[in-house]
This record gives sequence, C-alpha cells and structure tokens, in this order.
Amino acid sequence: MIELGIEEKTYTLNLGPQHPSTHGVLRVVLEMDGEYITKAEPVIGYGHRGHEHMAENRNYQQFLPNMGRVDYLHALAYNQGYCMAVEKLLGLTVPERGEFIRVILSELNRISSHLVWIGAYLLDLGAFTPILYAFDDRENLLDLLDRITGSRLTYCFYRFGGVPRDLDEEFITGTRAFIKRLRSRFRDYESLVTKNVIFINRTRGVGLITRDQAVRYGLTGPTLRGSGIAYDIRKSEPYSAYPAFDFQIPIGDKGDVFDRYLVRILEMEQSLRIIEQALNQLPNGPIMADKVPKRLKPAAGEVYQAVESARGEFGCYIVSQGDLKPYRIKLRVPSFGNLSILPEVAVDTLVADLVAILGSVDVVIPEIDR
Amino acid sequence: MEAKTGDPLIRLGLLEEALNLARANSLWPLTFGLACCAIEMMAAGMARFDLDRFGAGVFRPSPRQADLMLVAGTISKKMAPAVVRLYEQMPAPKWVIAIGNCAISGGPFNYANQYAIVPGADLIIPVDVYIPGCPPRPEAIIEAILMLEEKITKRGRLRKFRDVKG
Amino acid sequence: MLKDKLKTALASLNLAQVSDGDYAKTGYHLEVTAGPGQMPAVAQAMLDQGCFLESLTAVDLRESFTLVYHFASFDELCRTVVHASLTKEAKGAQAPTISQVYPGADWYEREVYDLFGIKFAGHPNLKRLLLPEDADFHPLLKDFGAEPGND
Repeated sequence: MIELGIEEKTYTLNLGPQHPSTHGVLRVVLEMDGEYITKAEPVIGYGHRGHEHMAENRNYQQFLPNMGRVDYLHALAYNQGYCMAVEKLLGLTVPERGEFIRVILSELNRISSHLVWIGAYLLDLGAFTPILYAFDDRENLLDLLDRITGSRLTYCFYRFGGVPRDLDEEFITGTRAFIKRLRSRFRDYESLVTKNVIFINRTRGVGLITRDQAVRYGLTGPTLRGSGIAYDIRKSEPYSAYPAFDFQIPIGDKGDVFDRYLVRILEMEQSLRIIEQALNQLPNGPIMADKVPKRLKPAAGEVYQAVESARGEFGCYIVSQGDLKPYRIKLRVPSFGNLSILPEVAVDTLVADLVAILGSVDVVIPEIDR
Repeated sequence: MEAKTGDPLIRLGLLEEALNLARANSLWPLTFGLACCAIEMMAAGMARFDLDRFGAGVFRPSPRQADLMLVAGTISKKMAPAVVRLYEQMPAPKWVIAIGNCAISGGPFNYANQYAIVPGADLIIPVDVYIPGCPPRPEAIIEAILMLEEKITKRGRLRKFRDVKG
Repeated sequence: MLKDKLKTALASLNLAQVSDGDYAKTGYHLEVTAGPGQMPAVAQAMLDQGCFLESLTAVDLRESFTLVYHFASFDELCRTVVHASLTKEAKGAQAPTISQVYPGADWYEREVYDLFGIKFAGHPNLKRLLLPEDADFHPLLKDFGAEPGND
C-alpha cells in the first residue's frame, strides 16, 4: 500500500506480515522519504496464540508442551526455564546426571538455533549457499537429538525433576563425531561468509546499538553482547550444571550488525566446548529425582527463573496459589525487548539495511506474540 | 466420466492431461510460514530432503507468482484476513496444503476458552491436502506434495496410469 | 554491593517495603513494594544505578491488580522485583507510565493494557499490541468467559 503524505514528501510502505525476510509474521509499517526510512513501526500480534491464557487453563504438566512452541528454535531452553521454575516451587532437586544431560541437549539445541539463524539471515541478504551448508549441519545435529528426545523441532523432553530418557553410547559417539565435523565446517563458514567482502560491506557500521540504548530497552543475548556487554545468564547467574564448565562469552566491540553475527558464530564454538566437557565429565547416577508427586501442587508463592536461550534471557515468572493449575505465568521472552529497539535503530537507514538490522536482532515472532 | 461442479467448460482431452502433468511437476509454493511448521517446510526445501527434485523447490514470495499455498502454522484471528487476501491474490489454478495440526484444526491451541486463533485453515480457505504432525517431518511434506500431484493429474505415481479417485 | 546501593537509593522514596528476597526460593535478591504513583521515581532510581527493566506485567487478583516490575543489572547479579497494587475502578484501572525513563517499557505497558485493560497515564501510544485493534475484550482477566464455538 503506498499513500502520498500530504504535508511532507514521505509515503507509507508496508512490510509484511507475509514477507520472506521478516522471520515469521511481523509487519513493519515504514514511512519513507525516497529510499530512506524516517519511521519504522513494528506491528505484532499476528502469531498470538494465547499461551499465557492457556497456562491458567492447564495444570503444570499439561502446560509443558506449550514451552516447545513458544520459541521452537531453542525449545529446550524454554523447557529448562519452566521446569526449573516449577522445581523451585516444589522444592525438587535434579540429580547431577540429569543436569548434565539437560545441558548437553540444550547446548546442541542452541547450535541448531544459531545454524538456522545463519542460514535464514544470509538468505535475507541474498546469499543462497550458506543456508544449504547450515541446514546440512543442522540435519546431522537433529539426527542426534531425534534419537534421544523423539522430536526434531518442538521438543518437550525435560520433566519436573530431571529427564525421562538416558543417553546411550551411540549418542555419545555420534556427538563427538559431530563436534569434530562442525569444527571443520567453521572454516567453510569463515571463507564463505565472514571474509566475504559483500557481506562485510552490508553489515559493517550498520545498525549501531549503544550501551545506553541497551539498558533503556532491556536487551539481552547476542544482540546485547555485540555491543560489548558481557551479560550471559550462564555466567552471571549460573544454573544447572554450567558452573562445572569452562567457557567464554564472546562479545563484540562496535555494536553493529557484523559484531552480532560474529558473536553467534563464536558462541557455537563455545557451545561445542561445553558439550565436550560435559561428555567427558558425565557422572553416573539417576536421571530423575525420586519422589516426584503425580499431582503437582506447588506451594503458594511466586518465582522467577531466568535461563539463557539462543536469543537472550528467557524468564519464567510463575504465581502459584497452591492449586493444580498455575494462577499466572508470564513468559519474559528476549525477542520482545530486542525488537522494541527497531524503531530507534532503523531511522535514516535504507530498506536493505533495515532487513540486515532486523535479521541481526534474531527475532522469533511466535515468542514475541506468545 | 461424471461432470462435477468446478470442471472446466472446455475439455481439451490429452492437452489437458499434459497441462495437468506440467502443473503437478512444477508447483511453485508461496513462502507462507506462520509458526513452527515453517522451519520444517524450510528443511524440506533444503539439501537433505530437497523439494526441488519434485519441481516444487522454487519458493516465491509473491502470491501472484505462486500456485501452491503451504499454510504452515497457526492462523491467528489477526492474521486470518491476510491469509484470505493472499489466497485470493493467487491466480487459478491454485492449491492449498495445510501443514501441521494447527492448520488442520487448531492443533494444541484448540481448547474451550481459546480466543486468539482460527481452528483450522479450511474454515477460511479451501484445503486440498492435510499433513498431520506437530511439526510433521519433512518427509511428510514431500508425501503431501506427491499426493497433491496425484490429485492434480488424477493418476497414480510412477506413471502406472491407474486412475486415482478423488 | 549493588543491593545495598539500591536499598539506599530507594530508602529516600518512602516506599512501603524494601527488603531482602529469599533467592533460593523465589529468585529475587530484593523485594520492593510501592504504590503505582511512585513507580516513575522508582524507575528513575533503578536506571541511575544502571539496572535494566527485565519485564513488566500484571496479575489479576480478582479484587485488585498487582503490577509486577522486574529489574536486573548487566554488571552485578541483583534481581529486584517491585510489586505495585492497583485498585480496580469502575472506569478502568490507571497507573502512570515509566516509558519516559525506560523506552523498553512502552511495549510492555501496551501488552498489559491489551491483556488486562489497565491504562497507563502519559503513555505516548497506548494501543493494543497483540490482539486485533478492534477487539473488545481483555483475555487475561479472571472473569473473561469461555467463547462458545471454538471447540
């Protein structure tokens, strides 16, 4: 839809909700002055499915499958956040082997989410080859996750108190082989993408986010770490088995789109390190806490549990009044805050730059819309 | 042969069969991922599962250039008018495949107090093939494309020239 | 320690309660109770200490609402929760906005308005966020009934 503004020489251009580059059903209403954007307003809600309302109509176990659908690309982090929040209310402790398994699977899921992001982002920028490489690596990874969890995408694998199925020898050897293979593929990504002069020209100096903006908008995740702030829940508020592992948090220095891309590539390598250490240190023992009640009636009160998902900090806020059903669940999703910075960052950019910036924020619309 | 409503007025015989064969083997899907199933649709188009070998790998962003709408994901009430508009913008002959439980019947989001979604794509647009699953595997999406090809050509696979009913 | 600095900064605002949270049970280091009218001042105090707004939501307690603000900091771990109790009024509950302090609160407040009907005075753009613009209900209210025909 194009209308001519009467007072100014701007016109309105509508991007989405069906658009190949908006990563889901996002609509951005643009006011353009020629080729430059003067105002960009995201319109969300096209994927609103009522998760928080469902939470009040389901008991705690019945709500567990929803967590895989909120952010389907890193579903295991959402599983983990929700399970940990409910375990806090119930006073359950997950055994050590269960925690290690949770970390291994969640880190594999993080890698698969970043691979999807790289593929889709470069497809937006016009490059068709990297998505084929990325999805090929992802298929190898999904074979491993499929063996244990039974799903490829919307996992519902963690239970309150641990995990229901143990790892087997074939998974462990398969994962070690995958780690070796992905490490050798990083060289391909580097020469295909990171050192590609067209990619650098499109992403260097574009979409700068300052620290002050990051604080005022509550950014988290690689979007934040590209601006040089080393905030990662796995390090600043360690949970599960993460304190046992030695890994780094990659950060950027300029805060532009290229830095956010590089942070995600380096994060995949750090995830591989975590998985390697976890496999080497995997303890024996039970995988589920004993004496998990069949009818879950957590104590009355509220709890907030944050975990680090591929997009940033996922926070699960549960208000319980001692019933079988939660009284209120609020899902604090990272893409909500990360996308809200778009109107400020997109001013005075070209539409092509807007696509680059929007992709670098890595939003998943169903998680924003819940 | 019995006449059904919606049949073309002019029957061109063998030419029509040739046209149907051409249409079936070169379906151009519309990129219309709404939610989680979109990722499995993307994976079906990628190197391992490769929709391109069936002719259906050229995903078009514009509905004017597409003849197959793959509804992948939940249709929310806010999105429903856009879905109908996109369907109407596609030129005939056109087909719709509903991918995933949400597009079939609302899926896991269909419960008594649901206020936000349209429980099923066939409430607003006509659907030709349904793929159950949450999300369905890419192999299921390929199976659906092959079923749609059978439906278009009214013949079985492998050119056995069996007539397929329906 | 950030917690002590926050306690000092909040002490001057005359709030109902500023106390330590039980981190192992609730995940909070600092629990604060304030009135909705004091929220802009509380938000400014948190921003001055470098905290960011993690989330802003509401809970419908049938007789009243509670606005819940979560704050955290990039530099030091200190989770703060602020509860602000809001009475339900016949013409709709109202609270002042904090979006002039935290622009990120803009969307959170629109979401609370969309799902609960709570209006934020001074908000630059209080429109519905998730539901269609012409929707006439607020789904997360406890007396939001079942819609027939959706089964």
